[in-house]
Amino acid sequence: MSMVALEGLRPWLLQRLTALYLLIYTAYVVVYWSFFNTIAYQSWQQWLAADLNQILLGLFYLAVLIHAWVGIRDVLLDYIKPFLLRLLLLFAVAIFLIGSGFWLVKILMMVNG
Amino acid sequence: MASTNRPVYLNLLKIKLPISGIISIFHRLTGVLMFIAIPVSLYLLQLTVDGVSSYESVASLMLHPLSRFFILLVTWSFVHHLLTGIRFLLIDLDLFLEKSSIRYSAWTVVGLEFLIMLFIIVGLFL
Repeated sequence: MSMVALEGLRPWLLQRLTALYLLIYTAYVVVYWSFFNTIAYQSWQQWLAADLNQILLGLFYLAVLIHAWVGIRDVLLDYIKPFLLRLLLLFAVAIFLIGSGFWLVKILMMVNG
Repeated sequence: MASTNRPVYLNLLKIKLPISGIISIFHRLTGVLMFIAIPVSLYLLQLTVDGVSSYESVASLMLHPLSRFFILLVTWSFVHHLLTGIRFLLIDLDLFLEKSSIRYSAWTVVGLEFLIMLFIIVGLFL
């Protein structure tokens, strides 16, 4: 991993694109569950089982994980100076986020079954 | 040119930060908080799809005062992070760059945040 890859336009753009999706998805969920449905066991299962909602929720968590990666990476680069410790923490965060992604896939597979 | 007796305030409590600086620091703090909350959200999501009884255990967990505190904390984090984030996006578009409107937009965020949190607390907890 080159240090050049750790800065620049790409993470900046990723952060803003994911932010935009998170904003739109949040509006969708808040409006839907406030005005068009009431949360209960049945309605929640049906909503989660719909293909479109699965895709949008999957994209939501993908956006969250990317957004969290760029954000936490910035925080670590700002406050953690020793190179090895910085690398170790970045690695731990990456594992944490990738693991969370796999967990979500497992949860989504539970819904239809 | 170099003055040796300039006051250097590294005492964080003595630095007077403008409102835009304060909400910016909280943008970062709330981001870290929600990063920690990611696995919690997944755990709760898993419980809601794991049968009626686990779904209901989540529902009853929500009634506990301690979990209500954390729900409120994460909800506030989300609201603050979202509003300050929108402000940052607008600043990226070269809006509100004047010194006076920077302060004005920061206070607008604080005001909106207060209203939304009031609405959420009244709606969810009262």
